[in-house]
Amino acid sequence: MTEARVVERFKKRTIWFHWIHTASFLVLLVTGAILFFPGLGGAAAGGITRSIHRIAVVFFVGAPIVYFILNPKMSWHFIKETLTWGKDDIQWVRSAPDYYFGGDEEKMPPQGQVNTGQKMWQFIALATGVLFVVSGFIMWFAKDALSSGVFQWFVIVHDIAFILALLMLLVHIYLGVIHPRMTESLRSMWNGKISETYARNHYGKWYDDIARRKG
Amino acid sequence: MEITRKDFLKGAAGATGLALLTPASAALAKDSQTRQGMAMLIDVSKCVSCWWCYAACKEYNKLPETSRPDLSDPPELSPEVWTTLHPVRKDGVWVSRKKACNHCTEAACVEVCPTGALSYNQLGYVQYEKEKCSGCGYCVEFCPFDVPKMEKTTVTGVAIMNKCTFCHDRVTNDEPPACADACTTGAITYGKRAELITQAEERVAELRRNGVEASVYGVDEAQGLHVMYVLDGAPDLYGLPADPQVPAAGTVRDIFKWIGSGLAIAVVAGFGLNYLVARLRMRREVK
Repeated sequence: MTEARVVERFKKRTIWFHWIHTASFLVLLVTGAILFFPGLGGAAAGGITRSIHRIAVVFFVGAPIVYFILNPKMSWHFIKETLTWGKDDIQWVRSAPDYYFGGDEEKMPPQGQVNTGQKMWQFIALATGVLFVVSGFIMWFAKDALSSGVFQWFVIVHDIAFILALLMLLVHIYLGVIHPRMTESLRSMWNGKISETYARNHYGKWYDDIARRKG
Repeated sequence: MEITRKDFLKGAAGATGLALLTPASAALAKDSQTRQGMAMLIDVSKCVSCWWCYAACKEYNKLPETSRPDLSDPPELSPEVWTTLHPVRKDGVWVSRKKACNHCTEAACVEVCPTGALSYNQLGYVQYEKEKCSGCGYCVEFCPFDVPKMEKTTVTGVAIMNKCTFCHDRVTNDEPPACADACTTGAITYGKRAELITQAEERVAELRRNGVEASVYGVDEAQGLHVMYVLDGAPDLYGLPADPQVPAAGTVRDIFKWIGSGLAIAVVAGFGLNYLVARLRMRREVK
């Protein structure tokens, strides 16, 4: 049996970053959700989850900072890709519902390294990350300096970021792990590689770029 | 009539049928008419600022000593001071208003408490179970009377709230709260709320006959306080807000909780549908 030809999708350090960030975010999500969803609050009694929330946030904030320092070029590229939107993205949004409901693969415009849906997720992750960190930092350290009225609205900013991030995370997990079409997504975030076929079908423009550079 | 937040939440509960996600506030749906219960009446015109209520509170609740209280420099409410005297300069002399938790019928602290540490006791007061406190501090920020106080370590986030408990152990054994028991002049009365309202109105009428601009505070405020006052001046002179409310942000939070819960359920249900349809169509295509 010949081994399927593969292309590198993620570097080792990106994979490390992804999972450290994931782990810390899941801890933050759970220790936060118990204060948000009615009826779960009992789990927060005693306040240990408050300390866990604070320990997790060190990794949640620290991981991207370390990653950025070690890979400034890749990080900027990531941010640029996230914020650059073009005609293909509009076409993608139009075609996506049919595609994700099992429609014709050929109707999907060819995508770059990250597709439009992934850009949306990355944008939400960046935006809610900023909202979370700013409002959280203020509620943690500036509580005594703030008037109650201002504090209350920062709680709500944290709530809004929570709802957005939770919904998009659910979508991210569903598409990455469960959706019948995304067969290599999870594995690629483990070993960094995807098959050439998968790359051609899912990230056509990106695959052509790599193929051209290889010559 | 305006639609109250209670009505809104009840309506929302019915409309969405998400009974499991009913916020604590709606689950504890209460009628201020039936939840009269017990209360205290503070008559500022009878208070002589002797500080016995303060001392009795400290002693009964085993709170550590703080500085010797004095009206020129009164202790603020703190984790170790659950009741104090609010100094008021009136007609050239210092008088005071006993200050502690007012035990609202619609209490902002209970509405925002995520753990159920704060709840409505059937006797009417705001019950506090300290062991359930998570230290989130929402009650501190939402209370319109600035009553709950936090003991906290900023870096670790370890925190716990403290406030007047209405002497839960005493009142559930048919004894008045320690402060009311200790009052030397009858400025603090403990009793059935309905009877205290009558008593307050009679006292106000008496004061008015003597030419004093008296009024009762707490009959309707926050749907009815369980610590009411006979005042001989405007509420704000005595450090009481004219119209204490659950802050708007509290209502907004409740709405967001509904939206968040609803969307999360809808999205997950959508995944199920998406999976089935996508699977089916993809299989048909392969054939």
